Amino acid sequence: MDIFLSAIFAGTSRGAIYALAALGLVLVWRGAGVVNFAQMGQAMFSTYIASTLIAQNYSYWIAFVVALISGGALGALVDLLVMRPLNRKRSSSVLDSPAMRSTVPVIASLGILGVLQAAAGMIWAAEERGFPTPVNSLGLVINGKIMPFTAFDLFVIGIVFVTLVATTYFFKGTGMGLAMRASALNPEVARLSGIRIGFVRTLSWVISGVASSLAGLLVTPSANLSPNTLDLILIIGFTAAVVGGLDSLLGSVIGGFVLGLLVAFVNVYDAPEDIFLAILVVLLTVLIIRPQGILGSKEVRRV
Amino acid sequence: MLEIKDLVTEYGSVKALNGISLSAHEGKITTVIGANGAGKSTLLRTISALEHPSSGSISWKNKSIVGLSPEKIVRLGIAHVPEGHAVISQLSVEENIEMGALFRMRSNKADVRIAIQEIYQLFPRLEERKKQLAGSLSGGERQMLAISRALVSRPSLLLLDEPSLGLAPLVVEQIIQTVNDLCRNTGLTVLLVEQNANTALGVADHGILLSLGTVVADLPAAQMKADVALRAAYLGY
Amino acid sequence: MSKAHSYGRTNLIISILFAAVVFFLSIKFDPYNQGQLAVALMVFIGVLSIVLLTGTSGQISLGQGALMAVGGFAAALGILNLGLSIWLAIALAIIAALLAGLLLGIAAARLSGPYLAGTTLVIALAIPSLATRFESVFGGDVGLNIAFGDPPAWLTSLMSEVGYEQWQLLATLPFATLALFFTSNILSSRTGRTWRALRDHEIAASLAGIKISETKIFVFVISSGFAGLAGVLYGLRGIVGPSVYPISLSLLLLAGAVLGGIRSILGALIGSILVVFLPDLIEWASGSFSPSEQIANYLPAMISSILLILTVVLNPGGIAHGLHHKKRHH
Repeated sequence: MDIFLSAIFAGTSRGAIYALAALGLVLVWRGAGVVNFAQMGQAMFSTYIASTLIAQNYSYWIAFVVALISGGALGALVDLLVMRPLNRKRSSSVLDSPAMRSTVPVIASLGILGVLQAAAGMIWAAEERGFPTPVNSLGLVINGKIMPFTAFDLFVIGIVFVTLVATTYFFKGTGMGLAMRASALNPEVARLSGIRIGFVRTLSWVISGVASSLAGLLVTPSANLSPNTLDLILIIGFTAAVVGGLDSLLGSVIGGFVLGLLVAFVNVYDAPEDIFLAILVVLLTVLIIRPQGILGSKEVRRV
Repeated sequence: MLEIKDLVTEYGSVKALNGISLSAHEGKITTVIGANGAGKSTLLRTISALEHPSSGSISWKNKSIVGLSPEKIVRLGIAHVPEGHAVISQLSVEENIEMGALFRMRSNKADVRIAIQEIYQLFPRLEERKKQLAGSLSGGERQMLAISRALVSRPSLLLLDEPSLGLAPLVVEQIIQTVNDLCRNTGLTVLLVEQNANTALGVADHGILLSLGTVVADLPAAQMKADVALRAAYLGY
Repeated sequence: MSKAHSYGRTNLIISILFAAVVFFLSIKFDPYNQGQLAVALMVFIGVLSIVLLTGTSGQISLGQGALMAVGGFAAALGILNLGLSIWLAIALAIIAALLAGLLLGIAAARLSGPYLAGTTLVIALAIPSLATRFESVFGGDVGLNIAFGDPPAWLTSLMSEVGYEQWQLLATLPFATLALFFTSNILSSRTGRTWRALRDHEIAASLAGIKISETKIFVFVISSGFAGLAGVLYGLRGIVGPSVYPISLSLLLLAGAVLGGIRSILGALIGSILVVFLPDLIEWASGSFSPSEQIANYLPAMISSILLILTVVLNPGGIAHGLHHKKRHH
């Protein structure tokens, strides 16, 4: 029973991280129409920055905040330096085909991933970094009994919960959130309303960058950081977003938790090597049975 | 006053606007009529900068607005209600109206609230449905909503593109009358593009007839309405 | 002579010329570069699979490296467990890859854009993980050993001396030439036109009676065959294992295709040579700078990634497209 419970808790706290990664993907998909495969590369890079600060004896929280800021900044840079010029390019015959038009940003984001991984290698020699936790990562002890989850698990779930509440409030309750939703749904009407959709689009990239940095920071205490560590998170985050619905923020979060539990159970009851296969099975099942995902809308698929 | 001189807008090699010149006087309703494909929508889209002209000039209150971005044009007091999908169905009525006022929120929050109140007085049906999704509204209500979104920015020039499209005659009457009252009471300048020439010329001060991208007639509305030959030649009735 | 026949003849002449040029270079190059050229030819075959799949029919796949692995492992199992000769093993590799391509196509043919990219990426990671999962069969992380072996007697008597790398190159050459020939025939045939219609005007194509799903799956199958061939040749250099076919291999193929020109055979050739010789080029160019080892290690990846971004933003058609353009404007 204990094993089952610890799988549930591990799955939930991992799921929280996947939810963040999926959230980041959906934000950029809705705000900019791009699936950003470089996302976890950005997270990796900003986590390396954080770990460097920690190695120089700055406090966890300062490193944390700097990582988030650099994640946001990286997101903005990606939009301004690569995605905007890409959008402006109209006059190539290669881009005349709709299939290629949706493929080209994917290739661009893979290039960005490559740059970030190579840069991390150059700056930090791809050395594996440990990353501390701000709270105890051993089994939590309550009233003398050892719980199947740790204080860190609670910390992670708590942070993701706060993030969810904050993003929901942002989108439903603020003017900028409304501007972002409007720009994603109907850019022309948004422009005619005076909304600066370029700025809004870059903001999506910034917020997504912050969310994915958060995911990177929270996952690395339990996984050593190297330029390729977070690739797995990207795959799972992508699958989570597809499962939940690529245009639904809530859906992506649900998808994240679903996959977190799946991964935990496969880990505990089967073998870690089967994780990729399990993810693949889930991905294919969703794409075949309900391609728009749990909460996605039918029009999502016109890529 | 809106002044347009020799405006040319091209789609590839097709000249949608082929040297258009017209004026819309302040506080008056100027209507642009003509058959499908005459270039009426393109005209409005060029003024609001959704399309770029290849040559010609547009000036509003004596300042040129060619080359500005749509967002900038809205801030100059020009609001465009495009034809067709002018509201966002997945947002609520309230949010659609708010959307039009977002750019003013920081500088003029109090006035925005007043403007929204005034709009609800103008279109009480919208206030009743303010929490509903725009997609669940009837055609007429959606048109009212689209106009509301433009009005909440307190424009001095309103560009209206075929408000009657797909609406029942009674509803069209209602909407056109509301626009007319608005113009007479607040001095709003209106450039009204319409296929329904009769109704449009009924409220307008001035009429401009477009055909295949050029101005064919530029007359006081009453005169244009009475010109049977013109109507037969270009409007088919 | 019908148009098809005249194209076929042109393609044959080009293929023979290609083989002749490479053969000539094989004699002139030193062993290291012979080995590099061999790898470039293997990559060329893999990049051709992308030219067919992505450049011609518009379907993006990040999993071509995994299909190479399927070919490599099939051949390895054939040689080690079934005692097959290298030629039979290569045939087995292609068949296995065709089957894998069929499965992949069935799974992926209804997808497009980022959905297709993401799914093929997951597949690309799932397949190698099978190798570690079934360690006893696939050799786990260490992998299985196969090799080109010694050059045949008739060749050594013909050419007096054939070095190890030279043999690799000469053994790979006929396959690369065949791949070139097949691809050029496909591209200039009605099949190629159908695939291009899929890419450019899917709706119109389906209205014209083209069976979209079936054609898409067919393209996957054919392109997988190419990838499998590339994979077995790649593995014959010495090892077949997960470390030989990492995800970066798929990305390398994609980069080669995009940089060279994703729609043309010439682009595939330019791109393959570029990505394979890039580390050598960089080392040669940075000779006077002598960067630290840390930087030097990652410089090829950095430069090819930057080139990839620049290509996609500034010249999506790749180098081949740029050359074609320049020719037109003279």
